[in-house]
Amino acid sequence: MTPAVAPPPAPPARVAATLTETDVRVSSGFRGARISVYGAVFDPSGRPSDVVVVVRGPTQTVRIARKVHVAGLWLNSRPVVFEGAPGFYRAASTRPLGDIARFGQLRKLGLGLDHLAIAAPAERRVETRYGVRDMVVSTLGSDYHAWRGAVVRLKQTAGLYSADADGVTFVDRGLFLARVDLPAQAPIGQYTARVILFQDGQPVSDRTLPLRVEKVGLERALYLFAHQRPWSYGLVSALIALGAGWAASRAFRRS
Amino acid sequence: MDLYLPIAEMSVNAPLLIALGAVVGFISGLFGIGGGFLMTPVLVFMGIPPAVAVASLSNHVAASSFSSVTAYSRRRMVDFRMGGVLAAGGVVGAFVGVEVFRLLRLLGQADLVVSVSYLLFLGVIGALMLWESLGAVLRRRRGESPPPRRDRRPILLYALPWKIRFPRSRLYISVIPPILLGLFVGVLSAIMGVGGGFILVPAMVYLLRMPASVVVGTSLFQIVITTVLTSILQAGRNQTVDVVLSTLLLIGGVLGAQLGARASARFRAEELRAVLALVVLLVGLRMGLGLFIRPDDPFVLVAAVG
Repeated sequence: MTPAVAPPPAPPARVAATLTETDVRVSSGFRGARISVYGAVFDPSGRPSDVVVVVRGPTQTVRIARKVHVAGLWLNSRPVVFEGAPGFYRAASTRPLGDIARFGQLRKLGLGLDHLAIAAPAERRVETRYGVRDMVVSTLGSDYHAWRGAVVRLKQTAGLYSADADGVTFVDRGLFLARVDLPAQAPIGQYTARVILFQDGQPVSDRTLPLRVEKVGLERALYLFAHQRPWSYGLVSALIALGAGWAASRAFRRS
Repeated sequence: MDLYLPIAEMSVNAPLLIALGAVVGFISGLFGIGGGFLMTPVLVFMGIPPAVAVASLSNHVAASSFSSVTAYSRRRMVDFRMGGVLAAGGVVGAFVGVEVFRLLRLLGQADLVVSVSYLLFLGVIGALMLWESLGAVLRRRRGESPPPRRDRRPILLYALPWKIRFPRSRLYISVIPPILLGLFVGVLSAIMGVGGGFILVPAMVYLLRMPASVVVGTSLFQIVITTVLTSILQAGRNQTVDVVLSTLLLIGGVLGAQLGARASARFRAEELRAVLALVVLLVGLRMGLGLFIRPDDPFVLVAAVG
């Protein structure tokens, strides 16, 4: 008896993508930049595909305080430090993320504003609760989600975080396009654009593309001068100030 | 025309900043104050990180003050000796103030201390100045003579040791009160991001009893010394001086300061003081308002400590 021959497995689907710009040059006229992510889904079997494009800026520590009402005055509470927060974050997808994959999957991949992997490690405490040893709890207690949500909300207000459930569009069969607008206040540094292909709620293929945002020309020269020779920089800028003051006073004396 | 600031890492409208510098420079030259107490809140409101705003501002204040101090010194309206003594205290105070400010930022309470300082100092000084100068203006209108000073030789100034002659101010007083005054103003200037003229001017008139004619020029002279030092210190320690920002501000600032110093000769001293008092009072109340109004968002991002 010959064993039943299984049908040949369909070749796995793949995704390919590229950025229209891999170097965003910040010069004195910089007012933000628009970057397009182009890509294609290769899938001979033609299963329904979803694409998620996540652009992340360099990681920055975030300090956040809550306003508390004390004796009639609105004061800041002790600040809480969140780590792992990207300086810029945009998640674009073909459908709402919740329809593309399950909660656990999104959480694991850190996809979407609700699932960004940011944490306040200084507030963590390991203790025994309900007889269970080594439980990690936060000293922020049940407020933790309010704090975390506030970080995302304030960054959204500043135009640095965004999510767009229609941000990735299929322009032709298997060919997709996503636009990312970098605001002028986007941080300088190394960015990554991650393109993930989902089928049946599972990530089947992904690509990570590097993107650099860097200062060029005069902006770069001044920045380097300020950081590499801070004292000379301070001296020169003070001399510019005194020189300008003196020049103006001379000019007015003659007139 | 937008311009990207290399240290603040954001883009700003250049003509707007030049105009802002000119307006504040004019006020600076007119009243003999640095104008930092006006400029800092405006810059922060425009979204420039407070640390960068405060540090770059000291450069702008130095430029416009230097521009007007030369105008005042030509008219022999600067007491350089008194300015030097005040600056000696101010330099020490600036060092102390920078450290205090770092600690406050670490505790997340910098905002609070800045708001309270503005409310307290600007509010109190503005109110006192307004009261005094309006009284003087009214007396002049009625043709009354100013009330005689009760104490011509305050014990504080004359009983302390280390007396020095200040010929330009026609004073022979101990150096301790001016040094302490300079120290206090230095600490405040580092915390509030101001030159401290709004405290120096009234303190020189009412505490040191200096003649009104040299007060403005001397205050500007002291401000030049402390702000130049502060800006070098801020650049060296915190790398927060944005030379593009400060240059934009000072282009307008130096011109405005010249016009202001010129215009000041046309007004009576007590009328100028009354207007300055009103401005100081309003800014102080505006900055303190945030303490009493329920915030839109219960959370705020606080600046990272560099």
